[in-house]
Amino acid sequence: MLDRNDSLTEGLDYHALNAMLNLYDADGNIRFEADRLAARQYFLTHVNQNTVFFHSLDEKLEYLVEQGYYEAEVLAAYPTAFLHEIWAAAFAKKFRFPTFLGAFKYYTSYTLKTRDGKRYLERYEDRVVMCALALARGDQALAMSFMEEILSGRFQPATPTFLNAGKKSRGELISCFLLRLEDNMESIGRGINSALQLSKRGGGVALMLTNIREHGAPIKGIENQSSGVIPIMKLLEDSFSYANQLGARQGAGAVYLNAHHPDILRFLDTKRENADEKIRIKTLSLGVVIPDITFELAKRNEEMYLFSPHDVEKVYGVPFSEISVSEKYAEMVDDKRIAKKKINARAFFQTLAEIQFESGYPYIMFEDTVNRMNPIAGRITMSNLCSEILQVNEASTFKDDLSYDHLGTDISCNLGSLNIAKAMDGPDLGATVEAAIRALTAVSEMSAIDSVPSVRRGNDESHAIGLGQMNLHGYLAREHVHYGSPEGIEFTSVYFAAVAYHAIRASCALAREKGESFRGFETSTYASGTFFDKYTSRDWLPESARVQALFADVTLPTRADWEALRTEVMTHGLYNRNLQAVPPTGSISYINNATSSIHPIVSKIEIRKEGKIGRVYYPAPFMTNENLAYYRDAYEIGPDALIDTYAAATEHVDQGLSLTLFFPAEATTRDINRAQIQAWKKGIKTIYYVRLRQTALEGTEVEGCVSCTL
Amino acid sequence: MKDELARTAVPRAINWNRLQDEKDLEVWNRLTVNFWLPEKVPLSNDVQSWASLRPEEQQLTIRVFTGLTLLDTIQNALGAPALMADAVTPHEEAVLSNIAFMEAVHARSYSSIFSTLCSTREVDEAFRWSEENPHLQAKARAVLNTYAPGADPLKRKIASVFLESFLFYSGFYLPMYWSSRAKLTNTADLIRLIIRDEAVHGYYIGYKFQRGLERETSERRAELKDYAFGLLFELYDIEAKYTEELYDGLGLSEEVKSFLHYNANKALQNLGFEALFPAEACAVNPAILAALSPDSENHDFFSGSGSSYVIGRAVATEDEDWDF
Repeated sequence: MLDRNDSLTEGLDYHALNAMLNLYDADGNIRFEADRLAARQYFLTHVNQNTVFFHSLDEKLEYLVEQGYYEAEVLAAYPTAFLHEIWAAAFAKKFRFPTFLGAFKYYTSYTLKTRDGKRYLERYEDRVVMCALALARGDQALAMSFMEEILSGRFQPATPTFLNAGKKSRGELISCFLLRLEDNMESIGRGINSALQLSKRGGGVALMLTNIREHGAPIKGIENQSSGVIPIMKLLEDSFSYANQLGARQGAGAVYLNAHHPDILRFLDTKRENADEKIRIKTLSLGVVIPDITFELAKRNEEMYLFSPHDVEKVYGVPFSEISVSEKYAEMVDDKRIAKKKINARAFFQTLAEIQFESGYPYIMFEDTVNRMNPIAGRITMSNLCSEILQVNEASTFKDDLSYDHLGTDISCNLGSLNIAKAMDGPDLGATVEAAIRALTAVSEMSAIDSVPSVRRGNDESHAIGLGQMNLHGYLAREHVHYGSPEGIEFTSVYFAAVAYHAIRASCALAREKGESFRGFETSTYASGTFFDKYTSRDWLPESARVQALFADVTLPTRADWEALRTEVMTHGLYNRNLQAVPPTGSISYINNATSSIHPIVSKIEIRKEGKIGRVYYPAPFMTNENLAYYRDAYEIGPDALIDTYAAATEHVDQGLSLTLFFPAEATTRDINRAQIQAWKKGIKTIYYVRLRQTALEGTEVEGCVSCTL
Repeated sequence: MKDELARTAVPRAINWNRLQDEKDLEVWNRLTVNFWLPEKVPLSNDVQSWASLRPEEQQLTIRVFTGLTLLDTIQNALGAPALMADAVTPHEEAVLSNIAFMEAVHARSYSSIFSTLCSTREVDEAFRWSEENPHLQAKARAVLNTYAPGADPLKRKIASVFLESFLFYSGFYLPMYWSSRAKLTNTADLIRLIIRDEAVHGYYIGYKFQRGLERETSERRAELKDYAFGLLFELYDIEAKYTEELYDGLGLSEEVKSFLHYNANKALQNLGFEALFPAEACAVNPAILAALSPDSENHDFFSGSGSSYVIGRAVATEDEDWDF
């Protein structure tokens, strides 16, 4: 076997070896060994030869601090003996990257390099230890536990944290920002400035446009003056491409608009294939906020009214986004003071699906579902670049000199994900969740975004974090459970309930230690205790023998545990206003050797393409030529099983989950609409991308290509 | 054969509900959903990457693209229209007019790349080079000869398939090579859209050739086959020299030639003929071969647009869909 491979792979560089993954061998088998050879070759011919060598840890740390690569304060918080101990413990674990993409991605995008970008200063263990030391802020036991959780792969901080922690010149540790724009030039100007500032420091930025008056609306009483939301989107798109983190990655942004905003169709048309250059939006992401009423109107095949935000604000005295369109719909339709126009509701949904076909956008946030399930007082009006952050915010107002008249709150979120397979492998799921919550909280406490005071205030008052999950499909397949099967869904439900329990438990412990809860705790359903009703009125434990077996070595919370937790929380409070959010996990799942998020795989061999790494091939975790049956991809699995899996998880996640829908290119807009209706019916909170796969026309396919065959 | 007299006598409207050949509709549908314009691809994201190429690499890239522009121009202005005159069904004519238009889009795309990445002087120099390069001119002329008025319709198709499925690929190699090294990845996306189109074009024209061939006598069939292999030898000869001239500097000529062999076999397969080059001669670098498939690529949305989105079929929802 190996002999044959040697002759086949002789003389190939690591890129070519990696690409062999996507080409079957003569017997129709996937060549996993070629990828392992690629990873090995990459280390032998590239990494090892380009890594700066140090004689000892002391010499290395001294050099890195002296040369301004490492933050001296991070290391100074620990005695030297402990630094030796933690580094020795990390290297003793003998970490190896299981795939070429994991290694390649890590060394291309994460590891510390010399300033000319040519030589590596860190190995994977160094990055993990620095991350642990930075987040533990001098607490040795905590640092050791962070190192173990991260290096074992059970917990993986999000890219901004993992990339930046411990480095001297670095971007922010926070993943994601959400900003409100109000209907005045001060707010718009401030918003664009904030977008530039936040892009410069890293992290995606989403902005809400719902409150901006529509195209043709009056300004100072003069009709037909406003240009609507499109020119603002153009400004934002250019701002994001201008501000990149020292070229490390492109700024990225999203804008959200309510479906009942009069500019909604123009907004969507910016993504049309044949859109005019003046209005075409290429890199800015779009999201639409859809209330329940839109579905009701479409069900009755009626027209849907679109309301002028300017007039709504005049009539109700609050911005459009603060109004529940579902609740006030009839009232607003009858109100002569509110300018409105109408479009057919079903035609709106069809247009939505058409644009999704052409571009994958927009994201969708189901406004009423999101607000019904929100344990915190206040309204959620938007989501973020990956549609998993769902938090309340508050408008700011400005003086003429652009300073704050009233400082509102905007949203930031620190993310990190558990690898479900590794977390289940143990030793203690509860301890893993607690370590993750503490690490994410540290990121929140260590961050102070002074360039955008509303974000700083939001973070200081809420300590909102988002614990995510990944490798669901990888785990299920390894255990010979089909994704989307009844056992797969049952596992998801039980697992997420257990994570929710431990996350709340950890946040309550933090509140007790610090003697402080998030602002607004008193008015939350955590404080009133009603949040816990669904956990104390029934069990969330495995019922089938198969799923019971999966949890055989895991202690699960019982109803009595939940009862006790309710009392604890009502007494001591919670430190974090938001706890869970399941992000799509691109890069970090490759490094961590996981399948993305809780999605099904997109392909047995995934073709990953990014600006910095080019085109690389990634085998699904735990896959062999023998267990391929459990690796049906998202297109084969179809939207229903995916939605059911997400619905089971959504139940236990206080924020959102990035849910992508997958269709073959032969699907129609109706198929997409049906899946959206299904998702909304099942209580899904947001939909992220729609992805399409076009099969090659018979006779034009690349021969023997793994990702081309179905 | 089309009845010219009847056509001039009674102008006929095209009826897509009466198909003589189902393949016309299948390919039409595929081509129309695949419609795209170069503006879709954020080429400007490649500006930094372009600056990281050495001057000789930049020059090579520009030259390769001017070579491709020339082929697309020929196919748009002469190739597809010449085939249209030979069309057997009105639907085939419609498909060919789509092909002609997309070839114009392709030619236009290279100019988008140039205007985004290069200076006018460099581009002008490269266009001049393309007019003076003997190998490039020779292959253009070899194909153009078969497109001349009055030429054999089936021979035209043979030349056309060689152009679509073979001649382009010495040029396509380079952007695929760059993208496998994380360079010019957005440009590669655009080229992959072109490859997606050319693959269908070559396949379709080859299919029509095979249908035409079935109606010929066995002597004629043998003659056409000889002609096809003869032309391929001629073109391969030119292509090999062209390849050496372009790629020797980077030391890639041998690899590009394997890629040429692979695609020459593909072109022959489209025409219904057996492969010419043995499998050993077609051992394309896996990084390039795997890069050819646009499907199911999981791209990072924030740095590129990907090549898997298409224009969807719009179907209205019915009452039963809104059952809640």
